[in-house]
Amino acid sequence: MIFFLKKFLIYGLPLPLLLFSLTIGPADSFSFQVYTDWFRYLLGWEVQPSPEVLIQWNILENIRLPRILLTFMIGAGLAVSGGALQAIFRNPLVDPYVLGISSGSAFGAALAIAFPLISINLSAFAFGVASVILTYGFSFSNRNTSIVAIILSGMIVSGIFTASLTVVQYLSDPYKLQAIVQWTMGNLHQASWEKVHIAGFSVLAGITGIYLMRWRLNLLALGDDEAKAIGVNPLRDKILLVGFATLVTSAAVAAAGIISLYGLFVPHLTRMLVGPDNVRNVPANIFFGGSFLLIIDNLSKSLLEFEIPIGIFTMLLGAPFFLFLLKKNKVNWV
Amino acid sequence: MKKEAVSISNLSFSVGGRQLLDNVSLSVEAGSLTILLGKNGSGKSTLFKIISGLIPYQSGDVLLFGRQRKHLNYKDCAQLLGFLPQFHKAVFPFKVREVLLTGRAAFSFFAPGKEDINRVNAVLEEMEISHLADRSYTELSGGEQQLVMIARVLIQNPPFIMLDEPTNHLDTYYQVKVMDKLQQLKQQGTTIFCIMHDPNLAALYADTCHYIEKQKIITWENQSDYGLFLERIYGVPFEVLDFRQKKLVTPKPFHL
Repeated sequence: MIFFLKKFLIYGLPLPLLLFSLTIGPADSFSFQVYTDWFRYLLGWEVQPSPEVLIQWNILENIRLPRILLTFMIGAGLAVSGGALQAIFRNPLVDPYVLGISSGSAFGAALAIAFPLISINLSAFAFGVASVILTYGFSFSNRNTSIVAIILSGMIVSGIFTASLTVVQYLSDPYKLQAIVQWTMGNLHQASWEKVHIAGFSVLAGITGIYLMRWRLNLLALGDDEAKAIGVNPLRDKILLVGFATLVTSAAVAAAGIISLYGLFVPHLTRMLVGPDNVRNVPANIFFGGSFLLIIDNLSKSLLEFEIPIGIFTMLLGAPFFLFLLKKNKVNWV
Repeated sequence: MKKEAVSISNLSFSVGGRQLLDNVSLSVEAGSLTILLGKNGSGKSTLFKIISGLIPYQSGDVLLFGRQRKHLNYKDCAQLLGFLPQFHKAVFPFKVREVLLTGRAAFSFFAPGKEDINRVNAVLEEMEISHLADRSYTELSGGEQQLVMIARVLIQNPPFIMLDEPTNHLDTYYQVKVMDKLQQLKQQGTTIFCIMHDPNLAALYADTCHYIEKQKIITWENQSDYGLFLERIYGVPFEVLDFRQKKLVTPKPFHL
């Protein structure tokens, strides 16, 4: 029974949730007929909408649908890359934010907003990669990296990029400053098909890579020596997987700003649901990570009169939920 | 001429300015069960890590089945050598079955195949640890974890197995069980090279025993007085007992 409940929660929930999310938005609620007609229209049926309905269709098609897809992709992407990074660095405290990827990407994106020389995405990715290399490089000593050293150097790299972000903000004109600040809070209300297309490619490519290599995460999670002892070069696998995770994170950050801690706690939730085996944990992160961010976004749109930025709302909602589960499951990390 | 699994000549190694191995030579015959002993911190594990490629060596030659260790890549190694490191800490509560499956990672890249899963089940049974298969590795006792990690090396099915303190944490039953298993593998043609601390267990099972003493490797070949030999290594007097043509020892505690 519990088994089927878990299966449904992970694999059954996304589709109904995607459909349900179409009905949520600041506009007055649409009649049921509008949705059914719209679906019939999408499926190629002959439908004659009134001008008023046409506006509502436009909202569904160009505002709500891209936002839902973008939210789901970003949720899935952050959860998968968080889970992968935790396995790679053998550290349940790690996420794209802790390792400095988020701050690096945020700085890169802000730089591209303030001085539009290269695309926001490319700049976010470049600085995301730079921050991983810095974090890993600083913590690398005596051919080994300790769990504590990674967190420490991640915090420092993160601090450097956050400070640099402030410098960029300081130097920007008020209009751009507003855009940067809004964007660092994490927002999805500017979602568009263009953003879906741009972020979609990187997120899907990264997730596919991690999905294909998900079994190898188990090996990496046991440690470098355990991999070398059976004749596997852990460095090659690590470089590939960290590359994929960085690709996903930087694309997510470029599209929606910083959504901190999401990549940290969702993998813990799925681990409580399906166990630590990455063969099952990675798909669970994809589906549950996507659904959960969509739920959070729906709430952020509908709870209050005004919309709370998703990054802030995730923290407010996710952190207590995570603490509750942590206490309830009595998880002890050595 | 006998075939050599490992052949080391003129190997020196120092770490942090401290000389651990000074111009040592060693050979491990293929198809033998060889045991390496020595005091704590004498460089046994370091020697094992050098042979298994976990740390690079600075000078001298290390040949593995006649090929220079430096020139072997990971793929060659996976087919030649299985190694059990001394310490392992797991962070995530993987099931024992999942930990064992990772032992096949050099052979199946994307996902374990049916063959890999069958091999896991076979080894679980051989090692008599089927009852642990679905438990979390992190919740096992030290001895049970040790058994799992030994099983993980066997799953790889290499012709040469190196184990750093395989009987560590094990109760007497499993000590004998593991050593018997190693002996059995030896009879099937596998070369076994172990680090151990118990001279008696070593004497009961080993074809050859090597000792590290003062940066050098000495081989015990029934020469001179066994008790004095061990006293030189460990700095404790020993009494020698005869047992079925083997020599067993017991340390003479200072208060007796």
